[in-house]
Amino acid sequence: MFEKGFPQDKLITYSGMLWLLAAQIVVMLPLIFYLPIWLLPILIFSAVWRIRVMQGHNAQPGNFIKIIIGLLGLGALAASGIKVVSLDMMASLLMLGFAYKALEVIQRRDGMVVILTGFVLIGVLFLYNQSMLIALYGVLSMTVLTGALIAIQQSKSYAILPNLRLSSMMLLLCLPLMLLFFFFAPRFEPFWKVPQTSGHAKTGISDSMTPGDIAELSQSDDLAFSVKFEGKRPGQNELYWRGLVLQHFDGKTWTQSDIPNGKGIKIGNDRLSEKQVAESIVKRGDSVEYEVIYEKSGQPWLFALTPVLEVKGRAFLGGDFRIISYRDINEPKLLKLTSYPKSLRGVELSDYDRDLALQLPDGGNQKSRLLADRLMASSASKQEYINRVLDRFRQDQYFYTLRPPTLGSENSIDDFLIDSKRGFCAHYAGSFVFMMRAAGIPARVVTGYQGGKWNEQGQFLAVHQFDAHAWTEVWLEGQGWVRFDPTAMVAPSRIEQNLETAMESEGSFLEDNFLSMSKIKWLDGIREKIDSAQYAWRRHVLGYDKNAQQNFLKKMFGELSVQKIGFIVGGLFAGIILLWVMFLGLARKRETEAEEHQLYRRFCDLMAKKGVTRDLSQTPETFRRFAMQELPDLAGEINSFTQTYSSVCYDPSIQSKHQSYIDDMKSLLKKLNR
Amino acid sequence: MNTQLHHEISSSLTELNKVILGKEQQVQLAFTSILANGHLLVEDLPGMGKTTLAHALYKVLGLDYNRVQFTSDLLPADLIGASVFNAQTSSFSFHRGPIFSSIFLADELNRATPKAQSALLEAMEEGQVSVDGETHDLPKPFFVIATQNPQSQSGTFPLPESQLDRFLLRISLGYPDPAIEREILTGKKGRASLDQVKQVLSKESLLQIQQLVPEIKVSDTLLDYVQRLIAQTRQDELCHLGLSPRGAIALVKSSQAWALLQGRDYVLPEDVQAVFVSVVGHRIVGKTETQGDQLARHILHSVDSVGGGVAAVA
Repeated sequence: MFEKGFPQDKLITYSGMLWLLAAQIVVMLPLIFYLPIWLLPILIFSAVWRIRVMQGHNAQPGNFIKIIIGLLGLGALAASGIKVVSLDMMASLLMLGFAYKALEVIQRRDGMVVILTGFVLIGVLFLYNQSMLIALYGVLSMTVLTGALIAIQQSKSYAILPNLRLSSMMLLLCLPLMLLFFFFAPRFEPFWKVPQTSGHAKTGISDSMTPGDIAELSQSDDLAFSVKFEGKRPGQNELYWRGLVLQHFDGKTWTQSDIPNGKGIKIGNDRLSEKQVAESIVKRGDSVEYEVIYEKSGQPWLFALTPVLEVKGRAFLGGDFRIISYRDINEPKLLKLTSYPKSLRGVELSDYDRDLALQLPDGGNQKSRLLADRLMASSASKQEYINRVLDRFRQDQYFYTLRPPTLGSENSIDDFLIDSKRGFCAHYAGSFVFMMRAAGIPARVVTGYQGGKWNEQGQFLAVHQFDAHAWTEVWLEGQGWVRFDPTAMVAPSRIEQNLETAMESEGSFLEDNFLSMSKIKWLDGIREKIDSAQYAWRRHVLGYDKNAQQNFLKKMFGELSVQKIGFIVGGLFAGIILLWVMFLGLARKRETEAEEHQLYRRFCDLMAKKGVTRDLSQTPETFRRFAMQELPDLAGEINSFTQTYSSVCYDPSIQSKHQSYIDDMKSLLKKLNR
Repeated sequence: MNTQLHHEISSSLTELNKVILGKEQQVQLAFTSILANGHLLVEDLPGMGKTTLAHALYKVLGLDYNRVQFTSDLLPADLIGASVFNAQTSSFSFHRGPIFSSIFLADELNRATPKAQSALLEAMEEGQVSVDGETHDLPKPFFVIATQNPQSQSGTFPLPESQLDRFLLRISLGYPDPAIEREILTGKKGRASLDQVKQVLSKESLLQIQQLVPEIKVSDTLLDYVQRLIAQTRQDELCHLGLSPRGAIALVKSSQAWALLQGRDYVLPEDVQAVFVSVVGHRIVGKTETQGDQLARHILHSVDSVGGGVAAVA
């Protein structure tokens, strides 16, 4: 196929075009899970058109058509409801351009644009997902993309495998450099806030709780965080990963009362000094040391065994014995924590805190209030009252279900406690706290995660979104805040084992999550291995942050200074270059050539600088004539130089004068160089 | 070099060019083949002047000449001759066939059956023929100029590669330029002037010149170049069969003869390039349908003509 107006040797061949298309598809494929899916058909449409042009079936689209379809694409993006200033929009625009570019890729130059954009898109993918599998896919995409880069430079078609082999080889050569960058490149906090990716922004625990509105609890088997214990692992029923404290109740919804508008916490606002921590906590019992990797959640909340007394990493101790991240968690975050679960918390209760913990809406839920009064009247102590409320959950006809009936908005506590008696943790926790407050006992709802799945292979605990849980804390004189979990009364297996066991008869575990792999039992063994590998990936690759880097470098090279790092990096860099030079054989080439040939090549380079290039197969004689014609000013020198070279090379009769001829060449070369 | 000989060579070329108009390159190649004592294969469509070229050559060289039109019923004996019973002497005597001549024109070689073809090719290789256990030497010099129609034409038996190898050079004349064709059409030049061709070289001078060919000097640098070319024919991804050592020898020999023709006593890369396509085109086989000549040109273009050492293919 001939394209008019372009030099033939700069065009992409048919097979180069197919390579490019394959690479484009491979690059775009994972991104359409996050961006509009119709971007892929646009690519295929453009590429098929282009290929039909190459086969001679269609005409190359004119500028008018290009503008029309370009506008159509932009219109579709505008109509797709993506926020204008967002990462999604930037990525989608890039993808749109990437897809359309296939239509007008004719020359190698165009192909280069596509390939460079492809490399950028592989990078963009990591803004959406940083898992190990995506990283492996990224390597695959790079291999194909590099294969395409090779293919568009070829003027003939070659088989697929040699190209792939060559591109893998090239990437493999880059591997040492990649490792060097990974280990030594300075880790900075992001200079700007990465625009949030939409739709997936917030996962995990919500900062309010309205049990009555939920007819069916939606569950996800996404990982929330993973924990590695330093010493002994606490029992399963001790694993209360405490996150938020919901104090305020408006009759229907529980919210964080100390943050009136419910939005993020300002740094320092809620931060406790060491002194305050020491004052509010009486250290008791053994410590539990562990390391947590929190998954991306888009929220600042962190979950830990309470109370935490030591934090290593970017987080602070907040009020209510929680720990909070300085920033919303948009990439996996590693913390090292030390907790003392047996400690007493908040033995002294301030009036402000007491008011918060006793707050109830003015009216509504009369039946429950009456019940509380009645029970309180017949109890000798607060402790007995609590036991009687818990006994009620245990002995009465209460059911633990993930498909509770919806409750009215006026008397949601009555509707559950007296009438339906069916609900999940939020219902039990909410109504329990209501009963406490109705009887004048300070209490509050606590949310977080409970339990987790132990991975024997990787020796870590995986806590998933379906482990989310709500329980309560009651303040008792002399004991401070004590944890009570009313759900444990109704469904002990939820606490002792896990949600799946508790829901066995109802069959509602992850039932809305059809694609969930967690339900397939026979995959458990493999899953455990994969999870373990992914944990290692998160811990050691994604978790290689500024601190980890410093620790690692210190361990490897001792005390560090800028010069030392400079020397090490410089040395390694030089080593890599040396490796390449040896591997690619750059060092061997023209060594074997005799002096006269080296001189002649310098002559050719010189001529090339002056705009006269010798073709590979051009003989000295042909080139001499050509060069003399092109550069008449230097004709004399060119002539003598070539004659001398030719004689040295081909005329055996001058052998005795060889050296003088070479000297002549040198001096002529100097003259030409002037 | 002997100026007398050189003068004779250049006037031979002048004579030949008078008859074969506008084909200086091909005429030189044909003459190169004779100087290098190799056989010549002329491949072209009918009517392009193949036979005229052969005629002109024998006239210029003043050698004895036989011509056989190859047909599908030609038998080896028709070429070589046969033992015939002589009643007077009551004995068999050998009657020499047309092959006993200094220049033997095998017209349309590929029309004959393989049997007849191989009889000729054997004679070409050995320089002698054997009949009834008796060996008869062919005259010296002995040239075969074979003409061949392109194999796509009907009624032909294509020569196998092994036999094509026996020909030092393969040339093809091609269509003449329009201006030259006009001269031919007016009938004043071309074949019409064949009668006026004078003998320029004597048999003795020719043998003398032939002995000079191996004396033409070939430098190491040039051999490097030749070896790079050969290596490329064996390594190029488009090439299925590369050049054999016999082919390589032919390349050097032809280059020497060409250099001699230019009046030089050493070989330049130009000489190699000038004969390369004719020497190599019929000896290599491409992986695809690519014509040997085209492939040879491709190889010529992908090898560096200067520099030392037998570089690997990049």
